[in-house]
Amino acid sequence: MTALSVVSGLLLLLAIVAGITAVLAARHRLGFRIAMRNVRRGRARTALLIAGLLVGTTIVSGSLVVGDTIQQLIVHYTYIGAGYVDEAIHGTAPTGGPRVIPWAVYNAIVAGVRGYGPILAVTPEIIGTAAAYDPASHTPETALNLIGVNASASRALGEFVDDNGTVVAGPSATGVLIDDQTAAALNASAGDTLVIYGVHSVPLRVQGIVQENDRGAFITAGLTPGNLFVTVATAQTIENITGGVTYLAITNTGSQSAGAAASPGVAAYLNSTFKTLLATNGLTVTTPLETGLESAQTSAQSLLTLFLALGLFSILAGAMLIVGIFVMLAQERKGEMGMLRAIGMRRRELVYTYYFEGVAYSAGSALAGTFVGVGVGYVLVILAGSLLKSEGIPPNVFLQSFTVTGASLVIAYVVGFLLTLITVVVASTRASRLNIVRAIRDVPEPRPPIRTYTVLAYLGGLLVVLGLLGYARTHAGTDDIAYPIITGALVILGAGLIAARFVRNRWAFTGAGAALVVWAGVEPLHPYLFGSAHATSIFNLFVEGILMVGGLLMVLLFNADRLVAGLRRAFGPAARSSAVVRIGTDYPARQPGRTAVSLTIFALVVFTMIATATAGTTVQGSLNDSIRTQTGGYTFFGYSATPMPELWSEVEANATLAPQFENAVPLYFGSVDVDVAGYASNPYTDQLYAANVSASAPSNFYDTEGFSFVATQNGMTAAAVFQELQSDPHAAVLDESYSNTADAFSTSSASHPKVTVGEQIEITTLVGQHPTNLTVIGLLSESILTGVWVDPATAVALGYTNQSAYLLTAKPGVATSIADQDLKRAFFATGLVLYNLPALMAQSIATTEGFVGLLEIFVGLGLGVGIAAMGIFALRAVVERRRQIGMLRATGFTQGMVLRSLVLEYSFVTLTGIAVGVGLGLLVIYNLSISPQAVTDGVQQFVAPWATVVEVAVIAYLLVLAAIAVPSVRAARLPPAEAVRATE
Amino acid sequence: MVDQTAPAGPIGEPVVVGEDVWKVYGAGDTEVAALRGINVRILRGEILAVMGPSGCGKTTFLNCFSGLDEITRGTVSVEGTNIHTMPDARKSEYRARRTGFVFQSYNLLPILTAEENVEMPLLIAGRPAKEARTQAQEILGQMGLGDRLEHRPAELSGGQQQRVSLARALVARPAIVWADEPTGNLDAEGSREVTHLLRDLNRRFQQTMVVVTHDAEVAAACDRTLRMRDGQFVP
Repeated sequence: MTALSVVSGLLLLLAIVAGITAVLAARHRLGFRIAMRNVRRGRARTALLIAGLLVGTTIVSGSLVVGDTIQQLIVHYTYIGAGYVDEAIHGTAPTGGPRVIPWAVYNAIVAGVRGYGPILAVTPEIIGTAAAYDPASHTPETALNLIGVNASASRALGEFVDDNGTVVAGPSATGVLIDDQTAAALNASAGDTLVIYGVHSVPLRVQGIVQENDRGAFITAGLTPGNLFVTVATAQTIENITGGVTYLAITNTGSQSAGAAASPGVAAYLNSTFKTLLATNGLTVTTPLETGLESAQTSAQSLLTLFLALGLFSILAGAMLIVGIFVMLAQERKGEMGMLRAIGMRRRELVYTYYFEGVAYSAGSALAGTFVGVGVGYVLVILAGSLLKSEGIPPNVFLQSFTVTGASLVIAYVVGFLLTLITVVVASTRASRLNIVRAIRDVPEPRPPIRTYTVLAYLGGLLVVLGLLGYARTHAGTDDIAYPIITGALVILGAGLIAARFVRNRWAFTGAGAALVVWAGVEPLHPYLFGSAHATSIFNLFVEGILMVGGLLMVLLFNADRLVAGLRRAFGPAARSSAVVRIGTDYPARQPGRTAVSLTIFALVVFTMIATATAGTTVQGSLNDSIRTQTGGYTFFGYSATPMPELWSEVEANATLAPQFENAVPLYFGSVDVDVAGYASNPYTDQLYAANVSASAPSNFYDTEGFSFVATQNGMTAAAVFQELQSDPHAAVLDESYSNTADAFSTSSASHPKVTVGEQIEITTLVGQHPTNLTVIGLLSESILTGVWVDPATAVALGYTNQSAYLLTAKPGVATSIADQDLKRAFFATGLVLYNLPALMAQSIATTEGFVGLLEIFVGLGLGVGIAAMGIFALRAVVERRRQIGMLRATGFTQGMVLRSLVLEYSFVTLTGIAVGVGLGLLVIYNLSISPQAVTDGVQQFVAPWATVVEVAVIAYLLVLAAIAVPSVRAARLPPAEAVRATE
Repeated sequence: MVDQTAPAGPIGEPVVVGEDVWKVYGAGDTEVAALRGINVRILRGEILAVMGPSGCGKTTFLNCFSGLDEITRGTVSVEGTNIHTMPDARKSEYRARRTGFVFQSYNLLPILTAEENVEMPLLIAGRPAKEARTQAQEILGQMGLGDRLEHRPAELSGGQQQRVSLARALVARPAIVWADEPTGNLDAEGSREVTHLLRDLNRRFQQTMVVVTHDAEVAAACDRTLRMRDGQFVP
C-alpha cells in the first residue's frame, strides 16, 4: 500500500466523520450548542484537556517524523554513495578479487546501448583497494578505496568539488584526488606527494581534496574507508591490471531519482541484450542506486514499526487518560446532566452532546499533537546525531536530514483524531448512562445487578470458545508466538468472566489475573506448550507486557484493601492509628475502578521504560561478554601483501613496538570454496586459516589463543580440539556462522551453510583444485574471523604456503589506537591492513548504546502521560471530594494533614505502578533472554539496569509529586465552610 | 491544651460568646453582609435552635461561631478563647477535640464503613486505633446501628446515615455540637428519630448543641430558640 493510498483513505475517512458530524449537528442543534458552550466555558480547562488528549497523536506524529528523517538520511547516503551510477556491470574472479572486463567487452556494451534512450553513458572504472603513505605527515593508511576513473567521466558521473566549492578537474596522469575522509586519515594537504601501495607502488601528487558529494563519496558515501581517485591507467599500474577495467558504471538520463526509477527497466534491457556477453565473461548487472533506495525504505519502515510498537504502550496509556478525563468531566457535570435529562433530553442526545464536544477536543488536540510530535521528532533527531556518533555519521547530517512529509502530517492528524474520538465516544456513552435522580442528588451508582454478570458470563463463554479455536490453530507452527499467547489469554479472561457470575469478583478476577501473569510471564511454559519454532517480534513484547501488567493489576486491585491492611499492620500501631494513613490509603484501595486507570497508565509507562532499558543493558552485557569470545583475547587481526612469517621477531626488534605487544601470531591465510552437503548454493566462498604448529611461544597460536566453542566433537575441551587440529590433516574447525545458533555478530544468514560437529565438508581452491574432505571437530563461538581453520599441512597442500595473516595481542594498558598506528607505520611497506578487534566491538556496543538511549528517550515521552494522568486525576479528586475534604477539615484535619493524605494516596498509586512496571519490565526481558530465540540473537545473559531503574523510579515519583502539588495544595487550602456546603 | 473528654464546666455558664460579629461577603457593589453585628451568648449544656428564613444567615452564623469560617469584624470566644485569633493548625486541633459537626447531607466519607467514619475524629485527635474502634462500635450500638458497623454509607438509609453522622459528631465527647439542618434530608419519621436522639444525647452527656433548622418540631425540642432575619437575631 503506497503512502498516497493510505493518505487518500484516511482523508476519505475524515471526510465521512466530518459529514456525519455535520448532519448530527444539524439534527441536534441544542446538543451541539451546549457542547460548543462547554468547550468555550473554561479556556484553561480546555487547554488542559487538549494537553491531556494530544499524547497519542504526538507519539504517532513523532514516530512518523523519525521514520521520515531516517529514511531521508539513508536516502541521502544512498544518493551520495551511489552517485550517478544507476547500474553497474562487474564480476568476481576465481581468486576472489574483481574480474577484469576486457576493453572489447566494454566497447561491445557501449556500441550496444548507443541509441538506447534511457542510458546516458557507460564509464569504465577500476575499483580496488590500496594503502597510502604521506611522507609529509608520516601517516600511513592501509585500507582505502582506489578508484580509477578518467577525467572525461565527469560529464556523466558528476563533478568533483573541493571544500571551497570550486569544481576540480578529474585526476591527471601524475596526480591523485583524495576525499575528506582520506585527507583526515593521512593528515594530508593538497600538494603533498603520496605513495600509493597496491601490487605496485606509485608516487602521486595530491591534486586536490574533494567534498563527500555524489562524486567524491562514491561507494562508501563519505564514511570509512576514504577514496583515492586516479586515472584508469594509474589504477591499472597500481593493481597490475592489463587490457581492461573492473567496473562499468552506467548512468541513466535525467536526475538521480529518475535514473533510479528507470533502473529496473534498464537492468532488464542490459541482461537481455548482453545475455551471452555477460555470461561468457562472468559478469552481472547490479542496480546500486535503486537497491539502496529500496533498502532505505525498508530500514525506515522497520524503525518506524519499532518506534510505533514501543509507542503503543504510551498510546494505550493516553487512551486510558482520555477515558479518565471524560469520566472526570461527566462527574463534574453530573448534576447538569441529570437536570438536562430531567427536563426531557434523551440519553442519545446527551451522548451527542458529549460527541460534539469530543469532536471539538479531538480536532484541536490532534492538530496540536501533530505539531508537538514534529517538535518531539526534531528533538529525537538532534539526540540521534549525538547518540549515534559512533557510526561515523556527522551529527549535523541528522539535522540536515530532518524531514516532515505532508503524508506523515496527514496520517498523524487523522489517526490521532480518530483515536481520540473513538475513546471519547466510548467514554461519553458510558458517562451518559446515568440515573437522573442519582445524578442530581450525587448519589453513588449501585452495584451492577446479577443480570449484568449473566450477560458477562455469556460474553466470557464466547471468549473461551474463540480463544480455544484460535489456540488450536496457532499453538503449533511458525507464526508469531504472540498469537497463541493472545488466544490463551482470551480463554483465561473468558473463564474469569464466567466465574464472576458464580463467585465473588475478588476470587474470579484474582484467579484470572494471576493466570494471565503466569501465562504471559513464565517463559519456560512457552517452548513447552508451543515448541520453539514460533517467530518472535516486537509485537510479542507488547502483548506480553499488556497481559502481565493487566493481570497483575487485576490481582492487586481486587485485593487492594487487603494489601493496604497488610501494609498498615506491617508499619505498626502508629500507621494503624494515623488518620492521614487511613485516608491516604483507603481512597485508592477502596475505589479500585478509579485506581485501576491511573495505576494501569503509570505501570504501562514505567514497564515500557524499564523493558527498553533492560533490553539495552542485556544486549550490551552480551556484547561486552562477546569481546572475549569473539576475539580469542587478541587485539588485532591483519593481513599483508608481503608475508611476514617472523612477525614476532620483527616486533621484538622494533623499539617502539616491543613494549606494546605481548605476542604476534602469523597464520596461513587465503580464500577457499566450501562444499557442505545439503547446502543449496554450493560452493560457499570463505577464508582459510592455519597456524604453524612449531612456532615459538609468543608466535604460537595454540599457546596464545583464548577461543571457545559452541560445539565440539564428543564434547572435547577447547584445548583438545586445537590439539586434534594440529595433528589431524582431515580435521576442520569452523566459525560460528556455520552453527545453527549463530549470534548477532555472525554474518550468518539463512543463506549461510550450516553444519554440525562430526559432519564432513569439502574444501577446494577458488578454481576448484585440490578437493579435500574434512571432518568438523568444533564450531567456534566467534564469527569475526569467518572461515575454516585447518592443519597447516592441509593449508600448504591447498597451495596456501604463505603466512600472510596475523593475530596480535597488545600488552595491558597500551593505547590500541597508538599501537595500531605504530604497527601500520612499521610494516607499511608490506601492505599491512589491520583491524582493531576490541575497537570494532566497542563501536558496535556504542551504536547499540546510542540506539537504546534514543529509544529510552522516546518511550520516556510516555512518562508525560503518566504524570499528566496523576495531575489530572488529583485535580478530579479535589473537585469530587470537595465536601469530604470540608468534612475532614471540620472534624479537625489540618491543612497539612489534607496535603499529606493526598501525597500519600498518589504516592501509593505511583509507587505501586512503579513497582509493577519495574518488576514486569525486568521479567519480560528476562524471559526474552532465556527464550530459544535469545541464543540466535546473541543474547547470552540478563543484565538488569539498576541505575536506570533507580533513576526512572526517582524521577517518575518526583514528577508525580510536582504534578499533584497544585491540586493538593488547592485541596488543603479549601475553606472548610465553603467545602462542606458545596452541594447544599 | 484543652481537656479531651470533659464537655462540661458548670452548667449554664456562657460557653460561646459573640460580640458585634460581622460577616461580609464580596466588596464594593457586590458586598453582602451575612451577619450584621450579632451579639449572642450560648450556655453550656443547653440545646439551642437557630431558625429563620432561607438566606437569613443561619449557616453563616454556624460556620463563623464554630470556627469553620472567618468573621469580618467582632469577636467570638469559645470557652474563653477567641477562636478567630488562632492559627489554622490550632483551630483544627480545637475542632478535633472540642467540637462536633452534623450536616444536612451527612458528609460521610463514602469509602469508609460506618464504624470507620465514626472512629475518624478519634484518630484525628490522636487516640489509638483499638480504642477508637471500641468507642465507635459502642456509640453506634447506642444509636441502634450495631448491625450496620461494616456497611458503607451507600448501603445505609438517609436516617441511618444521619445517625452515623451524629455518632461521628459525638464520639469524641466534644464540648459543643454544631448541627446544620440535621433533619433537612429526612422524612418525618427520620426527622423525629434524629431530634429525639439529639435531645437524648444532650441530656445524657450535657453537651452544648447548636441546631440550625427550618423545622419547628426540631426547634420545639430545644431548650431555647433564636430567630434570625437579615443577619441579625430578632425577638
